[in-house]
Amino acid sequence: MSSNKVYVIGYGITKFGELYRQGPSSLAAQALTDAIVNSQVDKNQIQTAFFGSLVSSSNSQPSIGASCIRNCNLNIPITRIEAGNASGAAAFYQAYLSILSGVYECTAVIGVEKLSDYVQSGVIERILGSTIDYQWEYEMGATLTSLYAMLTKAHMKEFGTTLEQLASVPVKNHKNGVHNPQAQFRREIKIENFLKAKRISDPIGRFDPATYCDGAAVVILASSKYIEENSDISTQIPILGSGQASDSLALHHRDSLTTFSSSTKAATVAYIEAKLSPKDINFAEVHDSYPIGEILAIEDLGFFTKGEGNKATQEGLTELNAEISVNPSGGLKSRGDPFGATGVAQIVEIVEQMKGSTGQRQVSDNNYGLTQNVLGTGAMSYVNIFGKDEVKK
Amino acid sequence: MSKLGIVSYGSYVPQYRINVEEIAKVWGEDPNEIKSQLQVNSKSVPGPDEDVTTMAVEAARNAMSRWKGNPKDIGALYVGSESRAYAVKPTATIVAAAIDAEGALQAADLEFACKAATAGMQMCFGLVKSKMISYGLSIGSDSSQGRPRDPLEYTAGAGSVAFLVGSENVVAELEGTYSVTTDTPDFWRREGAVYPSHGVRFTGEPAYFQHTVNASKGLMEELGTKPQDYKYVTFHQPNTKFPLRVARMLGFSKEQVEPSLVCRDIGNTYSASSLLGLSQLLNKAQLGDKIFMTSYGSGAGSDSFSFEVTDEIERVQAYQFNVDYYVNRKEIIDYGIYARFKGVLR
Amino acid sequence: MEPPKIWRERRERYLGIGNKCLDCNEKSFPRTDYCLKCSSKNIEEYKLSKTGKILQFTQVTQPAQEHIFYSPFIIGLIELDDGIQVTGQIVDYNYDDVKEGMKVRMTFRILSIDNEEGLIKYGYKFVPY
Repeated sequence: MSSNKVYVIGYGITKFGELYRQGPSSLAAQALTDAIVNSQVDKNQIQTAFFGSLVSSSNSQPSIGASCIRNCNLNIPITRIEAGNASGAAAFYQAYLSILSGVYECTAVIGVEKLSDYVQSGVIERILGSTIDYQWEYEMGATLTSLYAMLTKAHMKEFGTTLEQLASVPVKNHKNGVHNPQAQFRREIKIENFLKAKRISDPIGRFDPATYCDGAAVVILASSKYIEENSDISTQIPILGSGQASDSLALHHRDSLTTFSSSTKAATVAYIEAKLSPKDINFAEVHDSYPIGEILAIEDLGFFTKGEGNKATQEGLTELNAEISVNPSGGLKSRGDPFGATGVAQIVEIVEQMKGSTGQRQVSDNNYGLTQNVLGTGAMSYVNIFGKDEVKK
Repeated sequence: MSKLGIVSYGSYVPQYRINVEEIAKVWGEDPNEIKSQLQVNSKSVPGPDEDVTTMAVEAARNAMSRWKGNPKDIGALYVGSESRAYAVKPTATIVAAAIDAEGALQAADLEFACKAATAGMQMCFGLVKSKMISYGLSIGSDSSQGRPRDPLEYTAGAGSVAFLVGSENVVAELEGTYSVTTDTPDFWRREGAVYPSHGVRFTGEPAYFQHTVNASKGLMEELGTKPQDYKYVTFHQPNTKFPLRVARMLGFSKEQVEPSLVCRDIGNTYSASSLLGLSQLLNKAQLGDKIFMTSYGSGAGSDSFSFEVTDEIERVQAYQFNVDYYVNRKEIIDYGIYARFKGVLR
Repeated sequence: MEPPKIWRERRERYLGIGNKCLDCNEKSFPRTDYCLKCSSKNIEEYKLSKTGKILQFTQVTQPAQEHIFYSPFIIGLIELDDGIQVTGQIVDYNYDDVKEGMKVRMTFRILSIDNEEGLIKYGYKFVPY
């Protein structure tokens, strides 16, 4: 990699939830405006913007960015990136490359999704069909939830993972989310409620998945050169490593159902670039759209040995300020999951944690933070590693 | 020696059943009275993802597996049905694709109430005999609709059957076929109507019985045979009582017709009905047995056939997925589930 | 539902036709334009085994719009006798009675129907036997 580094210099995030009064470009514009104010840059210095979203909304405006930048009175080139429920991280990665390439000095990354317009049952399931193998999984009747159910059963079978261990993931994340003002669900949920709930796709219970909602999150990225020229910028969080990797789209083409190899590969790239190892990471925002998602993540990212993420979670090792703080924001489960916004919201959480501005959910060791955003059942994974300061070792 | 006859056959009946008692309970009828009138205990019901096309494919595939020949050698494919999935768009083309018989092929969907598939068999026999084709496949498939509360609701079942006709590896040689046709409006369904209508008792004497008797007598006269020459006989089975009665009228014994009666358990399978009976008889028959069959289709007409079983029969009798397999494979459902599967509840 | 799509996919959906490489013998499903293992274009049609076993399965109670009529239904990961894996529904069986390793055979069913007037999408599902 070049000596050029990329920094997060500002961020903005809307409340996540059922935001019936706002359309998608309004949400995006709100987060972008907040981010510009937060970054203290003159908005005319933002040279380009990358939008991440899976569907723009029921208003059928694919180029959601065009109306958003108009709402912000900007006139810059925009690019929309689609990578399913990892669209936010995918847009971030392209923005990161655009600066590393030397073409741009200052770019914005906007993750946005507007899902509460889809009130008819089965519509979100159809939209999520595009995140799995549409022809040979979705059209055969599979849903994203049903595929995660099979992933869960595979982990239970191979490693003896229990429903209690699985439920300890959302229990912990809801506990963290209580202190996140942006989160959709800010209340603790008892483990019994998860265990007693009806199975929607056995063994996944009704309350296990993260909820689809509305929201937007923005980060502003800048080059080393830009930082040198604007040294008074108060937020300067360097991206130490970033990786993306793919796996086969359909589960039936995988060798293993108990690992997302895309996560492992993306993490390896990011760790090497950052010159860090999993044990250096203090806290992480990972893709917990289903409980098994977080267990797979903490194993695939190397925080725990394969097959031990279940016990580690149940024993509290991933709680706030335990061995590693996983999803201090409350994760997708508590924050809500507006697909395209999620990957960027994870990064916003890392930055806020590093700035020490997260109140009661503040992690004490906040030097190194990691994000992991997953498309579908792991067809793509995006891993980013951030440092509070430059790498010290 | 080149023979003309049946080369293979396959059947399919969906696994769901609804009992006569369950339907009678909904309408406050006496189930014992209905059961003694119709001599039917239950009828077959297609699953929510089944229709005439899917059942036709299953029967055709069973005929293909039993045959072990090359589907590309089939020269004609006809599907007889009165409850097709598409009003316009042949079922036969989908079946052809699903058994890998697309290409040089004559195909059509036929409609003649419950006898369209025997009409299709006659067409195939003619085409094979004239050497226009090597093999012809005639399929009867129905997922019949009975208007709720109508007497037909107790028997309107679902099933499918496929007969492969040719001149090589013949398991039952065709001795003759004979048909009668008159314009008799005993049962009909207008374009766009969901449920068929019928002439109640008019469907009996001047319709089912007259046509079945006339066609049967016509063929036996032509061949110079009499009921005693046949090991087995089968007829269209709108219920169990009608075939038993028409057998008696023609001079066949109960023992000759009884083995073919599948209607008790699965109801009236319309286009598949008489041919499912024939399949049952072929599964039991031995070399040299003569089998007589007369179909009946409302509107109205009957096709009679006389077959003699050859020494090839044992080759096809071991096939696992036969009529008995499907008749015995069953899950009883209640009226609520039945209404949902039938799409009555939306 | 798009008529060209139904037409284009019919051999795969109805017959389970993938392809086999004539150079390295690699089999793949769905069809590809060249061998996924050795990149050879010397390939021919290959029919999947019609029987196999259940590797993994679950029930779908919250399906997508076009599958709501059939819900609840069972979806599974099937390993066919030739080693190829596919995803498909397991029909004519109660969820509580389905077991991993159970033998299944391919059946032909409706996958979805495009409203009252549209096309019917047919394809393979699996029945335990």
